[in-house]
Amino acid sequence: MMGGVWHRDTISWLIVAAALPAAVAAVGTFGPLALGHMLLALAVIVFWQLVFLWSRAQPVSPIAIVTAIAVGVLAPGEFAPWQIVLAASFGTVIGEQVFGGWGRNIVNAAVAMLAFLYFAFPQTTIPGGGQLLALAVIPGALMLLVTGVLSWQVVLSAVVGTITVSLGLGENPMTVFASGSMVFGLVFLVGDPVASSATRAGRWIYGFLAGALLALLGWTDTGFDGPQAIIFACLVASLLAPLIDAGVIAATRRFWRPYNG
Amino acid sequence: MRISLRRGLTVPFKGEPSQIVDRNLAVDRIGLLGHDHGPIRAEVLVAAGEQVAVGTPVYRSRARQELLFCAPVSGTVERIEIGARRRFVEMSIIADGEDRRLDFDTSAADTPEGLRSLLLASGQWPALRARPFERIADPDGTPKALFVTAMDTAPHAPDPAPIIAERSQDFARGLAAMLLLTETPVYLCQPDIEPLARSSEHLKVVRFTGLHPAGLVGTHIARLQPPGDGETVWHIGYQDVIAIGHLLNTSRIDPYRIVSLSGPGVDNPRLVQVPLGADLHALARPNLTPGAKTILSGAVTGGRESTFLGRHDRQVTVVPRAPARQHHWLIEALRRVQTAAAFIPTQALEQTLGSGAPVTPLLRALSIGDAEAAQKLGCLHMAEEDLALASYVTGGTTDFGQKLRRVLDELEAGA
Repeated sequence: MMGGVWHRDTISWLIVAAALPAAVAAVGTFGPLALGHMLLALAVIVFWQLVFLWSRAQPVSPIAIVTAIAVGVLAPGEFAPWQIVLAASFGTVIGEQVFGGWGRNIVNAAVAMLAFLYFAFPQTTIPGGGQLLALAVIPGALMLLVTGVLSWQVVLSAVVGTITVSLGLGENPMTVFASGSMVFGLVFLVGDPVASSATRAGRWIYGFLAGALLALLGWTDTGFDGPQAIIFACLVASLLAPLIDAGVIAATRRFWRPYNG
Repeated sequence: MRISLRRGLTVPFKGEPSQIVDRNLAVDRIGLLGHDHGPIRAEVLVAAGEQVAVGTPVYRSRARQELLFCAPVSGTVERIEIGARRRFVEMSIIADGEDRRLDFDTSAADTPEGLRSLLLASGQWPALRARPFERIADPDGTPKALFVTAMDTAPHAPDPAPIIAERSQDFARGLAAMLLLTETPVYLCQPDIEPLARSSEHLKVVRFTGLHPAGLVGTHIARLQPPGDGETVWHIGYQDVIAIGHLLNTSRIDPYRIVSLSGPGVDNPRLVQVPLGADLHALARPNLTPGAKTILSGAVTGGRESTFLGRHDRQVTVVPRAPARQHHWLIEALRRVQTAAAFIPTQALEQTLGSGAPVTPLLRALSIGDAEAAQKLGCLHMAEEDLALASYVTGGTTDFGQKLRRVLDELEAGA
């Protein structure tokens, strides 16, 4: 028995590598504030990973770096350090570690973290990334698609969902894709293989749902100046992913039954 | 009929075997393994030190007394190991190099009953395996379909076409025997080359194209005839069909199989002709490159470390053994106590299953041992080999084949 190239840790390092250009672009755009948030969040996540390694024997994972980068990219507002510490603790413990670590979580830890941050401290204004950030995400996304980590169905159907709903609301969908925060979220949060749907048909539905929600929330509520729309869209879509899978499996089984007699 | 599969993966891997068969390998020791046929309460028919010939029955199943297992070489029984509850574990035989073979009476083999009793008496029956559960076919049963697998897409597997072409008479005779065995459809699954036999109402020749797992019988079954509740399908490999044809043509059993000896740990990877159950260490030793090695019976995906060649394996893969790294004692201790990490359901996993079953939900059900969910997701017509690619793609930390076997055992006990 020999293992292939997609070992758990290899996958997480691949995602880390894919997120690095975006991290650099975010630091370039938002300044040292984003870097500070990333390092602080990383320290908090590593601390909690060690706590769970010590108390529950849960394996640690380099995916912490991606989660920390996501905090830097999507929450570059004037948050106090204790607010970041609180949000990062909530996100990593409730979003990931209590389920058994990365791979068993139902929502992405970064999504839980950022949703907490936006809800708990709504008075802080958060700038969204521009086109530079959007462009910086592209090479990483391509790399993840080629190595088979990211599902192209999810990405494609999310884009289709965004365009459909934007056009339905009479808005220009390119505004969404010009926002770096949205593109980063689409690739690294919506496209997260663990929290997204796991069946083939489910991935199309899940991606479309996430894209549609993104456009709906963005155009009708939060706007695309800040990164909130993508986080809330991703949160709702991830929570519905198991339901989508269950529905797809039930439907497929009904379709199978004639063969199985 | 031609079926082309879009999914599949190539496993890049050094040590591709040259397709020239080396027939001059003397094997001085063989072993029969209980692992090959699952738990069978055995009645051993020989004693250690006793002389056996090719075809001498050495043990049989207590539950099915007619199900015999025969010696593949002539020589002396060296060691017999019986496990808990009389389960057969292992038997090794020292070959004397004389190749004395017993004659079998093939006169009654033109009737279905006569053929079955000949195959049982000559120890050829265990070549037929049944799904669900991947066990030896029931000697009194009738399958819903019988699959003859004349292809192999596993990395470094021997190419079946020249092997069959060289022994086309034996293959044709064996295939005719398969048609006699059952009146239900017989599928001959072959690569996309000239048909190896003429299609008829009874025999359906199906050509499969695509990457691994296009050549696995599990893929063929899922595409052509997934077994429903209470139904079984049987399957047999092309070399076993040739061996049965040889038995019918010559009244003597053919214990030799052509296997590939390959992988980065071998200095001249090639095909070799060896008896069933050949001692892998003795076989590989003259050809090893320097350094510590792991010798696998089977392909690099899904092969298992073994002393002897598995009954149904047509490959020996030698891979370098990674030296154990020394960490700080605290890191080492924390690493050892870690609970099994979850696999990451990447898009690449979608390429690993030949059937249309949803991969990630199936693997999740298997990893927590949820037999009911796994059954709903279609694990019944699968075997360990079907999940080998999934284990490979997820980094080999979890052996999903083993998990599947555990679930199948549970379902079998409940059935």
